[in-house]
Amino acid sequence: MSTVDIEIKNLHAEVEGKAILKGVNLKINKGEVHALMGPNGSGKSTLSNVIMGNPSYEVTQGEIWFKGQNILELDPTERARLGVFLAFQYPVAIPGVSAAKFLKSAVEAVAPEGNKPSAGAFLKELRENIAYLEMDDSFINRFLNDGFSGGEKKRMEILQMLMLKPTFAVMDETDSGLDIDALRIVSKGVNKLVGPNLAVLLITHYERILQYIKPDHLHVLIDGRNVLSGGPELVKKLEEKGYDWIREEFGHEVLVS
Amino acid sequence: MTATIEQTDVWFPGFGESEFSNLIAGCGEQDAAARKVAFDRYRLCPVPTLRDEEWRRTDPDRIPFAGMKRLEGLDRAADPDRNDLDQAFDLVISISDRGYAITDRTGILAEGKAQVCPLSQMPADALGTYLHGEAVLEANRKYTQLNGAFWNVGFFIRIPANQVLAHGILIRYEHTTPGSILLPRLVVVAEAGSVAKVVEWYQSPDDVKLLCVGARELYVREAARLTVQAVQEWGVASTHVGEDWARVEKDGQIDWVTLTLGSGFSKMMVGCDVAEANANAYLSGLFFANEHQHIDQRTLQKHSAPHTYSNLLYKGAVKDSGHSVYQGVIAAAPGAIGVDAYQMNNNLILNTGARADSLPGLMIDADDLKCSHGATMGNIDPHQLFYLQSRGFSEVEARRMLVLAFFEEIIAKLNDSFLEDRIRADVNRKIG
Ligand SMILES: Nc1ncnc2c1ncn2[C@@H]1O[C@H](COP(=O)(O)OP(=O)(O)O)[C@@H](O)[C@H]1O
Ligand SMILES: [Mg+2]
Repeated sequence: MSTVDIEIKNLHAEVEGKAILKGVNLKINKGEVHALMGPNGSGKSTLSNVIMGNPSYEVTQGEIWFKGQNILELDPTERARLGVFLAFQYPVAIPGVSAAKFLKSAVEAVAPEGNKPSAGAFLKELRENIAYLEMDDSFINRFLNDGFSGGEKKRMEILQMLMLKPTFAVMDETDSGLDIDALRIVSKGVNKLVGPNLAVLLITHYERILQYIKPDHLHVLIDGRNVLSGGPELVKKLEEKGYDWIREEFGHEVLVS
Repeated sequence: MTATIEQTDVWFPGFGESEFSNLIAGCGEQDAAARKVAFDRYRLCPVPTLRDEEWRRTDPDRIPFAGMKRLEGLDRAADPDRNDLDQAFDLVISISDRGYAITDRTGILAEGKAQVCPLSQMPADALGTYLHGEAVLEANRKYTQLNGAFWNVGFFIRIPANQVLAHGILIRYEHTTPGSILLPRLVVVAEAGSVAKVVEWYQSPDDVKLLCVGARELYVREAARLTVQAVQEWGVASTHVGEDWARVEKDGQIDWVTLTLGSGFSKMMVGCDVAEANANAYLSGLFFANEHQHIDQRTLQKHSAPHTYSNLLYKGAVKDSGHSVYQGVIAAAPGAIGVDAYQMNNNLILNTGARADSLPGLMIDADDLKCSHGATMGNIDPHQLFYLQSRGFSEVEARRMLVLAFFEEIIAKLNDSFLEDRIRADVNRKIG
């Protein structure tokens, strides 16, 4: 039996009539962390939005298989309930929706029918995760992401991920704009969930986060195509040789440290 | 003075000279005198027409006087009915077709923390305020004066100086007689240094055709703080006209929330004068027109004195074939310096076919005023919608959350979890 959990096949997508993804192919096995790197504008956020089902992006070709389904046929709600999670690069603020109420309703929304957590169990877990992410308690009494700093928003994304317990998490540059302390905390949050039941696509612009979250595979996306993919040997090569040779091979813009 | 107007169109059907004579024949002397002042103004005011700028989008002919009848006999005391709203208040005035009842739940009358009585029995020393009607900023308004002459249920509430009401006063209306015209009137005086909340709540069954022409006069004396919350939830077969006026004096503050959820057709006027130095007005509005509802609101922020402050936020949603109109006027006395006036109208248009017209920032003599104003129009933000869906909320649920979130800023101003939940539930029902 194949252990492949997620398979992206020849994915093409456009936004406002402009082709952005021009053939992305990825396989992620259960329990693996895959890093996806690429220069600004290469299509990383487009890929995450397409995986989650953002209707502003039009898929023109290809398939995304997850848990035996082509999830391109599902709406974002159904994808979330199937276990897909996107930690947004730029999470939106929703004034008027309290973070606590939002979290509770979201946990209930993704929980399978008949398996909704009790209010007490939810609160206990929420408190534990807030403490784990070294967040202030007052966070959850505020409106969702409203007036949050960049770092606070990223932590809120990780908190949601911990509460929703996805089986496929896409993290879109969650590390960008974080200081080293915040980066450590965010990584700690991801690592808490990493395990046999979670597949992670860790999108990053910098190799810095890869010191905290160890990927099993690495992909490089340039101009809407993943030009380079490799397993542990590629990760190891990167560790030994650094990233310079990729820059040389694929151009100066690929990686910026 | 009165001889110049002889046209027949100065009367609304059923509210003419003979009806007025009959009415005051049965009134006490003081009451009749007060009504007469209003009647003389009423007869001089022109009947609004579609040609008036204010009424261009709201046809006054849709206000149904013909075939409707002024409710009588509302001055009788009735047995108080119960309502779960009551628990949040010190004193409750409940009005139904049978009459009104006053229930002093926490004994504020006996303690002298408030005076509450029918308008016809107003204390003599308050009569001057009422007759003078200083709060009424535009005396030439037909509906305000119609109400002043013909009101059929009215209350006077006075909070004596420096008294503080812990929970406030609720006035709730529940009317069920088809074809009736209700003319409720409310006069509130918050004397110097007092703190109070007055909530007025209108309700009727959806299928009962009613016409309500209401008016309020609110007086906030020196350093007093008055909270007014007006909830209009008439059934959809009813028509509502409301003209409300406030005057805020030195160091006083009004926190005034107007919520318009009910009635098929409504036309409101909310006018507030921050009339003396350091007077403050927070004017908030929530309105939601769905199905075939029409809601028109005009606000006036008047700054009669230097160093006064007003902050207005009206938020509305339209859905189905709903239509809303907002007109915001800011007026200042010449040379009023140190004035800060803010006005914002946000509109959520939930589908094509629904319509919101917004005309903020209409200025009267306010050239050298420091003020800012604006309006926004838009549907649900697609980024917010996608964000919620990506967390497992269905599209319907996500939209519901976002409409409620849009209104939350206003709902939270009610500052009472019970009332807030009631309004959230009502908004939720309208979202469908
Ligand atoms: N919503 C959008 N509207 C228009 N262009 C977009 C939109 N999203 C992305 N693009 C364009 O698609 C390209 C890829 O963007 P993106 O996926 O955000 O790249 P990355 O995340 O790798 O920086 C860029 O040229 C960007 O301008
Ligand atoms: Mg990006």
